[in-house]
Amino acid sequence: MDSYIKDRKAEGDEWMPFTGLEESSSLPTGDIYVPLEEWLKSRESLLERNGRLGVALSNTDDPALIKDDLDRLDLVVLEFPKMADGRAFSQARLLRERYGFKGEIRATGDVLYDQLFYMQRCGINGFELRNDQDVSNSLKAFDEMTVTYQPASDEEFPIWRRED
Amino acid sequence: MALQVYTASLLKEGLVAYLTLENGNPSWTPDIRLATAGTDSELEALKLAAEQSELENHVVAPYAIDVLETEAGYIASTKREQIRASGPTIRLPQDAVRASRKAA
Amino acid sequence: MYQYSEQDHQLLLERVAQFRGQVERRLKGDLSEEEFKHQRLRNGLYLQLHAYMLRVAIPYGLLSSDQMRTLAHIARKYDKGYGHFSTRQNIQYNWPKLEDVPDILDDLAKVEMHAIQTSGNCIRNTTSDPLAGVARDEVEDPRPYCELIRQWSTFHPEFNFLPRKFKIAVSGAIHDRAAVAVHDIGLRLIKNDGGETGFEVLVGGGLGRTPMIGKTIRSFLPKQDMLTYLEAILRVYNQLGRRDNLYKARIKILVHETGEEKFRELVEAEWEKIKTSGLFIRDEDFAWIKGFFKDPEYENLLDQDGNYENLLLSNLDFARWADKNIELHKQSGYRIVYLSLKTAHQPPGDVTADQMDAIADLADKYSLGQIRTTHRQNLVLSDVKLKDLPALWEELAALDLATPNYNHVTDIISCPGLDYCALATARSIPISQAITARFDDYDYVNDLGDVSINISGCINACGHHHVANIGILGVNKKGTEVYQLTLGGSAREDAAIGKIIGPAFEADEIVDAIDKVLSVYLENREDPEETFLTTYRRVGQPLFKERLYG
Repeated sequence: MDSYIKDRKAEGDEWMPFTGLEESSSLPTGDIYVPLEEWLKSRESLLERNGRLGVALSNTDDPALIKDDLDRLDLVVLEFPKMADGRAFSQARLLRERYGFKGEIRATGDVLYDQLFYMQRCGINGFELRNDQDVSNSLKAFDEMTVTYQPASDEEFPIWRRED
Repeated sequence: MALQVYTASLLKEGLVAYLTLENGNPSWTPDIRLATAGTDSELEALKLAAEQSELENHVVAPYAIDVLETEAGYIASTKREQIRASGPTIRLPQDAVRASRKAA
Repeated sequence: MYQYSEQDHQLLLERVAQFRGQVERRLKGDLSEEEFKHQRLRNGLYLQLHAYMLRVAIPYGLLSSDQMRTLAHIARKYDKGYGHFSTRQNIQYNWPKLEDVPDILDDLAKVEMHAIQTSGNCIRNTTSDPLAGVARDEVEDPRPYCELIRQWSTFHPEFNFLPRKFKIAVSGAIHDRAAVAVHDIGLRLIKNDGGETGFEVLVGGGLGRTPMIGKTIRSFLPKQDMLTYLEAILRVYNQLGRRDNLYKARIKILVHETGEEKFRELVEAEWEKIKTSGLFIRDEDFAWIKGFFKDPEYENLLDQDGNYENLLLSNLDFARWADKNIELHKQSGYRIVYLSLKTAHQPPGDVTADQMDAIADLADKYSLGQIRTTHRQNLVLSDVKLKDLPALWEELAALDLATPNYNHVTDIISCPGLDYCALATARSIPISQAITARFDDYDYVNDLGDVSINISGCINACGHHHVANIGILGVNKKGTEVYQLTLGGSAREDAAIGKIIGPAFEADEIVDAIDKVLSVYLENREDPEETFLTTYRRVGQPLFKERLYG
């Protein structure tokens, strides 16, 4: 993936998606992520692999379904099927704040310049930008706003409860 | 097929505009009477020119409307497009207040 | 009123710079119209029938005189010399150029104003009682709560791409002047048996195609829990609200389809998990925010004034105005004054730049420098001394702002309709003007008493026709504008959705139809004290139907 940002830096992407349609013999080596359905079905065999593991949630999947698995996962992939669909913002906050996930939360789909700031605040730290987005320019989006009012994954308190 | 012209909003100003096509050169006018009207194949050329203007970020969301040919030039067929072409049918407030003061 | 901190100012500057960048990217072609649309809408910028329209937020309807002067300046410099106060207490400009909008936002930022989230599928400007802090029937001032909601909801990262727009209203009084029952969330400040302040929480009210009255999902929510509870409701909605159909995406449909009981369980379950989070409001937080809304230093005045009382007896016009447009104040010797924006000369809610400047001066001179906007599209001067009323009245009359019609038949709510709006199917303003022209006899208007007429130019119902005693909905029938009548609605504490009475009327028939409806009321009321709505509820539709269609 060319247009990939991790922790506010342009990065190469080491993860391979696995759709579950492939034969298990053709499973890629290295770090893979699978849809939730595949994870729930083949959890045990997947855990025997050496590489890192990730799970992709669709917008209708409740993050609570993987809350007990999070310490074995390094990646959760969330979907923004179109710009206007904001369900994954809630999923990201739940993963970070309620279930304490420490690995990468990645945004995929319509990942555009003007959403990066909000995504970051909800705990998303990996961004597969849509192909037409310029990576180095997009890095500026994280700092367009410096003042935040409400708590989110990056702030425990609203502005009126913060020290200085 | 009804006679049609292409209309859109100008990107920078937001104002209503109509497409004219002279010798293949497109331009946009606020006056519907000056628009280039067409049917069938002529309309196709207008459509292409309108879409090109949109791609070049001159106008937003062009579409075709039915017009009637009158002695005074083209007028839009529907009420909505007539109002779009000629502005609000009410007196704008600044004018209205001045008028009421004069009357008083 | 709330005073911006350095950080609040910083946020506005950053937002203006961000929007300036978005406009530049759009003009260069780096941003498609589709993508830009989401951004411009989140900044209140629509592309309407004739031009762009900019909606500027007036948080809970409260304006300083300097802010009003800036609104006048913007009308003059960037627009056609007027603005339109909307049913959500905001102001709209009908003719700004896209390239000018960043400069307009710069000017607004200087007086702590903005257009943030005045459109788009996000949490909109919180609305409230225009008499907040001065009303006699107030349980508690709603404005500190509104300001907390404003801050919490501004650029909320989780709730900026909701299924649909989201409107919150807060009322702090016995009488509902904020129409809380027809908002996505309505909060009613109440006291419980223990004397503690809290909220009745209504969810799922709204107008539009599927009008609904909000359901009470909690009869008492302690005030400390207001924001955690709002966050819980919004989180449930963001995850479960329908996104497959624009017309079914509001929270009212989710509440309806999920069922009230189940919806409440979902919200309460979510709330249990976050009720002690950072959004819990502590006593010191209340102390801080309430500090901005302290009572001004009122003078100790008698509740009587010789000049005022003499003028009541000697000047009929003054007496009429005083009877209709003045309300009692919680403080002795003060009055609340309604400035009617409903005259025969201007569209409902429209104010010229000259009027705005003059109103700002009057506010400074007579009313502690503040102005409020109302959801019925009027303005309020909230702290006028009784003894100043004669002088104020003279100045208001000269400005054409003293029509004695508050809450009367010509105090019409009207959306902009097909004269301005890209979504409208029929005109509304000419109908409101025709009604105003017909009912120009004070004695008749006075006799009709408390009655509301609201007009919408399409099914989206921005003119709140569903909740008017007499509602008018303009529709397009085979190329002709026709108008449907609904009767029996109310936006107050007895909120109700009006019912369609029968087939629609042509534009030149609708005023006669209204006249007939009013006659039926006058003929059937039990006594002059019985309002239109009470009579209608007592006698029902048939009498009206018979007169209209019989």
